[in-house]
Amino acid sequence: MNLNGRSVEAAGSLLDAVLAAGIALPHLCKDDNLPVIGACRTCLVEADGRIVAACSTPAAGVQECATDSERAVRIRRGVLELTAAMQSRAGGAAGGPRSAESSEAYASHAPRPGQHDVRTGTHADLSNPFFSFHEDACILCARCVTACQELQHIGAIGIAGRGHTARVTPGAGVSFRESICTSCGSCVAACPTSALRPKG
Amino acid sequence: MTRTVSSTCPYCGVGCGIVLNVDEQDRIRWVDDDPENLSSTGMLCVKGRFGTTFVNHPDRIQTPLIKRKGRFEEATWDEALDLVANRLLEHRGHFGSFASAKATNEDAFLQQKFVRLVMGTNNIDHCTRLCHSPSVEAMLQQLGSGATSNSYIDYEEASCIVLVGCDPGSNHPVIASRMRRAIDSLGTKLVVVNPRRIEMCDRADLFLQPRAGTDVALFNGMARAILDEDLADRPFIEGRTEGFDAFVSAVGETTVDECALVCGVPAGEIRAAARLFARPPARRGLPEGLVPGSCLVWGMGITQHTQGTDNAHSLLNLALLAGQLGRPGCGVSPLRGQNNVQGCGDAGCIPDSLPGYQSYGDAAIIPFEELWGAGLPRSPGLKATDMVEQIASGAIRAMYIVGENPLLSEPNLHHATDLIRALDFLVVQDLFLHETAELADVVLPACSFAEKDGTFTNSERRVQRVRRAIAPVGMARPDWEILCDVARRMAPGAGVDPAQFAYASAGEVFDEFARLMPQIRGISYERLEREGGIQWPCPSADHPGTRYLYADSFPRGVARFVPVRQHAVAEETPDGEYPLVLNTGRILYHWHGGTITRRVAGLMEQVDTVPVAVHPADASVAEIQDGDPVVVFSRRGRMGGRAVVTDAVQPGNLFVPFVKLQGSAANFLTNNVYDQESRIPEYKVCAARIEKKRERKGAFTLRS
Ligand code: SF4
Ligand code: FES
Repeated sequence: MNLNGRSVEAAGSLLDAVLAAGIALPHLCKDDNLPVIGACRTCLVEADGRIVAACSTPAAGVQECATDSERAVRIRRGVLELTAAMQSRAGGAAGGPRSAESSEAYASHAPRPGQHDVRTGTHADLSNPFFSFHEDACILCARCVTACQELQHIGAIGIAGRGHTARVTPGAGVSFRESICTSCGSCVAACPTSALRPKG
Repeated sequence: MTRTVSSTCPYCGVGCGIVLNVDEQDRIRWVDDDPENLSSTGMLCVKGRFGTTFVNHPDRIQTPLIKRKGRFEEATWDEALDLVANRLLEHRGHFGSFASAKATNEDAFLQQKFVRLVMGTNNIDHCTRLCHSPSVEAMLQQLGSGATSNSYIDYEEASCIVLVGCDPGSNHPVIASRMRRAIDSLGTKLVVVNPRRIEMCDRADLFLQPRAGTDVALFNGMARAILDEDLADRPFIEGRTEGFDAFVSAVGETTVDECALVCGVPAGEIRAAARLFARPPARRGLPEGLVPGSCLVWGMGITQHTQGTDNAHSLLNLALLAGQLGRPGCGVSPLRGQNNVQGCGDAGCIPDSLPGYQSYGDAAIIPFEELWGAGLPRSPGLKATDMVEQIASGAIRAMYIVGENPLLSEPNLHHATDLIRALDFLVVQDLFLHETAELADVVLPACSFAEKDGTFTNSERRVQRVRRAIAPVGMARPDWEILCDVARRMAPGAGVDPAQFAYASAGEVFDEFARLMPQIRGISYERLEREGGIQWPCPSADHPGTRYLYADSFPRGVARFVPVRQHAVAEETPDGEYPLVLNTGRILYHWHGGTITRRVAGLMEQVDTVPVAVHPADASVAEIQDGDPVVVFSRRGRMGGRAVVTDAVQPGNLFVPFVKLQGSAANFLTNNVYDQESRIPEYKVCAARIEKKRERKGAFTLRS
């Protein structure tokens, strides 16, 4: 496969091939340790003339792939503008080990502020002794939900509601402390923003 | 900037890979999971993830301490070591030692070398005595090896998992996750056998709730059902076992219905469980041609009884009867509690064998004597519980206790405390000044797992690296180094070459261990660096390690059926004064006695008083509401806690984790009576009474 003008081995997904080649590409809903979700669209690339999500497209069968074409970068910037609009207050707080992934994506794509209405949810859950949840930094990528369900097989958290009211939650009207959450921290480890952040 | 150091979790026997993120002040800021680790596959539980802050807790002992006129005074290492060496030389001949299943293999190996070579005794033991000694005893007799026969991957390849007397959701959370993965995605069947409804029951196809102490009746009943319905694996029994006829006649003495009456589980459920275990329906995706397997997994609910060894025999008989051994997706697993309880036994910290479970016969002991340049004691030493009881007779007058706190973990703590107090000389080497350390003459500060190099061996026999991530706290030193210093000081007096205790690194200690334990001979630090953890047996440098045992043969040749019969359910049963059965165990947010987890703020925030689970019927008799402060009494003591009114326990039963919180602990109540063979105490059954804590009107109370 030809990737940004270089010949690389077409193994796994396009995202795998891109990352293996040492090329930076946002992938805000794909955790290296978790299955594909394919929800955030921040990993869009141009493959044989089509715009596809790198995380969920097998590399085998693709001849030409570009992460850096003008079109791919422009579309990703647009997606990241939408993503950023989900966060009414993103910066500042220290998050878990993967929390820099969102800020790095913003830094490399320079999304323009004010393109979309900002989602206004400000729910915060401070009930767990080890970590807290802050809706104002959440981009609804569902990594945490996947970590809880597919990795630990606990299923304590989900996304409830749709559109502007959608929210990561350990159950309607239930706090993390009251839920079946076992505080394993896999959600905090997976979160690409500081929405789920360790305490202290 | 943070550094990352990959290591192994210091809590339970699952042995998850952890990546410590350490800041410039040498503080652990975050613990990441390790997707490369084959035991944990990227998972962690709350203790591994958030529970390591104890290493920097201000309570860490910073310097050696010597007790003078009843008070501890700080001392230099030289003062403390000289004192220990001189006093121990006087006490050769009536000395005993406890090793730590929390310390490394290297620490354990060095400790038994010190005890055998310098102190000239086999009086060395560790906490396995209190958890799985009956399992080890039974497996050695029946199979020839005391280790878990399979791997965690087998839980994911099994068609049926039978969980007996264990609560993996609380005590082996990552194993619980791996089982849930199999159940949810492959349709693996789950049978839970427990007097208490545990979290895994949510996914169970069958939940059997036997009366406390009736395990033999239940498992003999299952065996009888397998025989009645002709589900036994005849070729396996004929080709690979002995003692079948005697077993059949013992099991034949009682019908399934009779067993059902004794254990309280309906006969239909006993039969259903027998069918699922012996002939499970194939899980989804079972490769063509493979026989569906069943994993038999058990914990302290089996072992901590006066008939613990019999209980373990009855389980192993079932595995042999159904031929559920020696293939992928089946096998027998006693879930090990502590991070290195497997390794501590492997390294020889047990009174009846040398490293590698080698007996004291000439063939095994001579290589040790040649390498160590002196004769070694050949008669078995005292077991942990006997060492403590033998203080009364004067047979034990000095002890050296590393990384254990018997005054929380022994049964009947008031009695145990009196005994430990009666010692002439006690050395405790640990992280914190716990109940046992308070009574010591000398306390030596030891490094935590984060401050030293070494290896742990987990429940699936995987030897994994522990790596130094931060500088030692205060003057703390690794256990093996401290033991070497004591040993070198004593060597001339004991007729031993001091060079026997000169090692440049933990790696050198491991090399000697590997040379003397055939099962790990092929493992080296260099390989562990390159390949990650390796499962023993690994006899040579080019051997890949072993996922499951007994594929073709048993260490004792053929496996042996051991017929057992149900005896009295327990030493102490309820009566008018103490009408309830007290069962003990553990909870997710605390670790054993709590010496470590009481020093993790978030875990204390989760649970800060001992929860006492009581059935609604018993609660209403005692006029207790959920959340009420309560007092539990037994003939030996009392303890305070908070009532959790729940039908997860059966009527007539109480469940209390043995963690000590607010000065209260279940082991003030438990009974110091022991299983004959293994000498394990009966932690799981004693008679008790519960009362609502009476308000003292007008009195000043700190908490209700
Ligand atoms: S499951 Fe056991 S080994 Fe794994 S993180 Fe939890 S305590 Fe540590
Ligand atoms: S990473 Fe590909 S869609 Fe989110």
